[in-house]
Amino acid sequence: MHEGSITTQVVKNVLQEANKRNAKKVVEVQLVIGKLTFLNPEQVRFWYEILTKDTIMKGSRLIIEESEGVVKCPKCGYEGDFKYVDDPAMHVPTPTLNCPKCGGTVEMVGGKDCLIKNIKMMI
Amino acid sequence: MTKFKDVVKTEEGEVFDVELEKNVLEANRKLAQENRALLQKHGVKAIDVMGAIGAGKTSLIEKLIEKLKNRYRIAAFKGDLTTTIDAEMLSRHKVEVVAINTGKECHLDANLVKKALQRLKLDSLDLLFIENVGNLICPAEFPLGSDKRIVVISVTEGPFMVVKHPFIFMDADVVVINKIDLASAMNVDVKSLETDVKKINPRARVVTTNCRTGEGIDAVMAALGL
Ligand SMILES: Nc1nc2c(ncn2[C@@H]2O[C@H](COP(=O)(O)OP(=O)(O)OP(=O)(O)O)[C@@H](O)[C@H]2O)c(=O)[nH]1
Ligand SMILES: [Mg+2]
Ligand SMILES: [Zn+2]
Repeated sequence: MHEGSITTQVVKNVLQEANKRNAKKVVEVQLVIGKLTFLNPEQVRFWYEILTKDTIMKGSRLIIEESEGVVKCPKCGYEGDFKYVDDPAMHVPTPTLNCPKCGGTVEMVGGKDCLIKNIKMMI
Repeated sequence: MTKFKDVVKTEEGEVFDVELEKNVLEANRKLAQENRALLQKHGVKAIDVMGAIGAGKTSLIEKLIEKLKNRYRIAAFKGDLTTTIDAEMLSRHKVEVVAINTGKECHLDANLVKKALQRLKLDSLDLLFIENVGNLICPAEFPLGSDKRIVVISVTEGPFMVVKHPFIFMDADVVVINKIDLASAMNVDVKSLETDVKKINPRARVVTTNCRTGEGIDAVMAALGL
């Protein structure tokens, strides 16, 4: 829902890096979006196109990679995906903070980022 | 004079790779930490109130203010897209209220809160309520620097509100299930909403309320440690 403002940040940061190096053109931007963010890659693409139109990023290739959500248990050290509770009445697996190994409470440690990983620019 | 033959330089039109690893969401988290440090320095406890549109966030804050204003010096921030209706409601309680208009954004962010904090005299404050924009999704992505996060839902949003939006509940310290007076009319089982929250976040304290009558407000205060 806030892809507009986040993509604005992405474009701003990329342009900053490009300007620092006196780039003539940005040809490719690689993003890594965490699956625990509320950023929909399709919508990021939509905004990217609009926001880069009048810049040296116009027409650049946007590569979006998604990173998995990772939780960690401070009690037993488990690291991995959430435990999902399947509710037969609703047919939706609901993620829970219960540790799948020991029943402790896990913390979210990965998949909450939106990284600009790499930029290719023409100097 | 010797002339270097092998000078390495970038050629015209050469493509240059910049490894960045820049996290765009990190900026907000940093600012949230700064807000938190500032609030702590002045001994102000901040409570972020999130929840769906119309769930009863303003009503809850009003009830809490009524009960707490003799014991604490209170201020409130109210995030809204463009209006100041809620801010006006809150200021009837003779506490300082700062309206934060987010424009078209669906959530408050740490930068807006930082700016609003500059309007307050933090030394003459104990407690700050921050009412977020009505939304069960986006505010989870933007910590503000508060000590406690409340998520307010109400039975009028139906029986599947919690399982449909699990992630906001993961960030909640206290979950308020409001409008319990309407549960039977809505054919919603309050107990099963409670179970859903507990299932997703076993750490959260769950309180059921009627913010019209004030039922359950004491339990909310206890859950917040106030
Ligand atoms: N029946 C009943 N009505 C309630 C209760 N709590 C709040 N309301 C009513 O619900 C409506 C919305 O309440 P608000 O407190 O404005 O809700 P909000 O979450 O602040 O709404 P927004 O800020 O617009 O998202 C108002 O008409 C309240 O009087 C309750 O416990 N029971
Ligand atoms: Mg309100
Ligand atoms: Zn564990």
